[in-house]
Amino acid sequence: MRKSLGMTLLWFVLVFAPRAEGTRYSPPGKPTLTRCRSPEKETFTCWWEPGSDGGLPTTYALYYCKENSDAVHECPDYQTAGENSCFFNKNDTSIWVNYNITVVATNALGSSFSDPVDIDVVYIVEPNPPERLTVTVMEDTSWPFLRVSWEPPHKADTRSGWITLIYEIRVKLEQETEWEMHLAGQQKMFNIFSLRSGGKYLVQVRCKPDQGFWSEWSPASQIKVPEYFHQEKSVWLLVTVFSAFIFLILTWLLHLNSRSLKHFILPPVPGPKIKGFDNQLLKNCKSGEVFSTLVVSDFPPTASSNYEDLLVEYLEVYVPTEQEQLESKKLHNGCLKCEGSTSDSDSGRGSCDSRTLLLDKCGEAKEDERQKDQRSAGTDAERQQQGWEGEAMAYAHEDMVSPDISGGRVKTWPSVFSPLPQFSLHPQEQQSSLEMAKQHYLSDSLFPPGSTTSYFTQPVHSIKEVLGPSYWEFSSGSKQSDLLHPHMPSCRQLQAHSDVNISRIGRKEVPPPAGLQSTEYADIQRVTQGETVLVQPKMPQGEDYSKVKGVDRDNMLLLQREGMESDEQQETNGSKEDSCTSPTVTTTKKIHSATRIRGEMLLAANGYVDTATICSQPIQ
Amino acid sequence: MPGNIRSVSIVWVVLVCILFCSRLTSVGAASICTNSQAGCHVITLANLFDRVIQHSAKIQSFTNYLHSEFEQYFLPGKNQIGRVSRNCHTSTILTPNGKENAQSMAREELTEVILKLLLAWRDPLWQFHQSMAHHHDFNNFSSNKALEMSDMVHELRKGVEKVSEKMQKLGIISNSIRRLASPETSVQNDSEQHLMKDYDLLYCFRRDSNKVQNYLMILKCRIVPEYGC
Repeated sequence: MRKSLGMTLLWFVLVFAPRAEGTRYSPPGKPTLTRCRSPEKETFTCWWEPGSDGGLPTTYALYYCKENSDAVHECPDYQTAGENSCFFNKNDTSIWVNYNITVVATNALGSSFSDPVDIDVVYIVEPNPPERLTVTVMEDTSWPFLRVSWEPPHKADTRSGWITLIYEIRVKLEQETEWEMHLAGQQKMFNIFSLRSGGKYLVQVRCKPDQGFWSEWSPASQIKVPEYFHQEKSVWLLVTVFSAFIFLILTWLLHLNSRSLKHFILPPVPGPKIKGFDNQLLKNCKSGEVFSTLVVSDFPPTASSNYEDLLVEYLEVYVPTEQEQLESKKLHNGCLKCEGSTSDSDSGRGSCDSRTLLLDKCGEAKEDERQKDQRSAGTDAERQQQGWEGEAMAYAHEDMVSPDISGGRVKTWPSVFSPLPQFSLHPQEQQSSLEMAKQHYLSDSLFPPGSTTSYFTQPVHSIKEVLGPSYWEFSSGSKQSDLLHPHMPSCRQLQAHSDVNISRIGRKEVPPPAGLQSTEYADIQRVTQGETVLVQPKMPQGEDYSKVKGVDRDNMLLLQREGMESDEQQETNGSKEDSCTSPTVTTTKKIHSATRIRGEMLLAANGYVDTATICSQPIQ
Repeated sequence: MPGNIRSVSIVWVVLVCILFCSRLTSVGAASICTNSQAGCHVITLANLFDRVIQHSAKIQSFTNYLHSEFEQYFLPGKNQIGRVSRNCHTSTILTPNGKENAQSMAREELTEVILKLLLAWRDPLWQFHQSMAHHHDFNNFSSNKALEMSDMVHELRKGVEKVSEKMQKLGIISNSIRRLASPETSVQNDSEQHLMKDYDLLYCFRRDSNKVQNYLMILKCRIVPEYGC
């Protein structure tokens, strides 16, 4: 009874005494095996983490049993690897054998077992870091590189093939944060390229067995790359200088050709420039009144207008006759403007190289023409002819405005002014038509393409057939067909074609004013100063044009012989009245001489009458 | 033009002749060169060792992959307590379990051990492949890998046999290696779940492939240590 009471009291004391002291004892908490590692696949160590000790001194013990064996062994070495560790030496270590390891924590109150862990030593190998890391700068070539070499950890036996290690390197500049990784495989040496000159590099290496964990990084090895930037920069300097030089050259070339480039890239748009021609009026009027719209009130320009601006590129050849039916072509020589009046930049003007004659001549000639026309039968055709004249004049003026003279060839041709289609289709009216018709050779520039094509398609041929034996034969060269071609794109074509040759020179007939029954076409050999047109019979060779060198004082057209002087002058009577006739007289003479000249002349393929100088008086 | 065609055809004929003749010579060289005559291009022992070691490394990587796949998808969270009772069928083969043991073993013994191991795995791997193909738990990649592994083990065994022949020819090892016709061990017929069996098989094979690799390396570094040791 007393015993049991004592026991109970003792038990109470034991139970409550600690509570009274504020502590509590308990069996130890469960320890845990944290990791087991083998540095060389020959020994291994296991570490554990103790649980709560329960307030009492606790002891830990590690027990293991091997695969296929029920014998339980205790850890042979608790000290070598430190606290809470167990070290298995070589004798106790078996590779390719499964270990089942358990840690037991024991204190006065009890013990607790950790969870068992199965390990196979071959899979827990974590070697030491590689040793003796050396980094050197190799400067054999122009671009230096780093050579990194190292030794495997001394504990790992790679020499006998027991362990196979692979290595990894990392490099970075001293001031950077990102490492550059390189896998080196099984080799113990590695090269690093692409270095920054003068940079300080840090290099580290680590290793890993084929089955296992990576080792720790070796201590960093520092290296400084020498400066080698001179070569690199000199190359860049050379490249820069060279490219700058080329750039300068290109700029200079560009500057030189700026204008032509500008024309190439942004070609100027040609605009219609017919002075006195009102587009709007043409658009607005009715079809029947088309022609009337072409008659502009202020055309031809008066003397007060600036002749400098007028360019007549066609020559209106008009040989006046007493008979109305006789008309000859006229050389309109007053309307050509000399070079130098190129003010217009219209590219549509092809007839570039005509020389211009005096503008006042042009104006006056027109006046005369008008008078002449009025003398003739006042037919509608005549009136229309006037209109055509006006048109021609318009063209002429246009040409005068923007001559594009080149080389002294005359662009100004007697404008082939077609007798209107209606004229040509009626042979019975031929007489009237022919006498009315004036031949105007328009330079191509005068031709708005397609505008007057219809006019010219018929005329020459019709006139041809109409011409009787007494007429001056005119032969339009083959080139004339080009003129008649609806498309008259270029200067050159038109120039060549507007040749009208008077072939019947040998007739000894009355010079054109007298004998011509119809419009006469004649080669203009020269225009004398008396404003006489010297015409020349057409030669079968087809060279219809002669180069007009100039007009002398007597209104004589000076034709140029190539390689020879061209001072054939002729006497003309100064009277305007007879200007029609006089040329004929002189023409005859001239023709012969011109013929002679012609034979000697080397005409261009197209043959031009180059009205080089302006005549002082308009030629009738 | 005909001249061009002719020259082109001549060049063509010459090229064909060169190719043909080179082939002939090479074939001829192979037929002549049977007894390590001078001038023949003979594979060195080191080269042979490198090849078999490479082959073995490949097998090992395959097994690692399969093992991890198995562990990840089919046995997650499986604790390893039950592993203790596992018993590989090759455990009867005496293999060195430490460096000293392996290094103290004779070359012939080591070679024999390797060959035994490789032979022991010929049938189980084939069965493993069959079971994986039938049970569509694995994806095709794993199934193909299993089949490949069986073939590769067979190839490796042939290769090691070649190496041992070469070594015997060179007098490095004696001719005491027994020719193995059939495996010494037989596969246990486990009644466990097929998955468990497969997993254990993979585990055992993974270990054995590591053994083979290690033994081969030891042999190489002992016999032809010039490179990689």
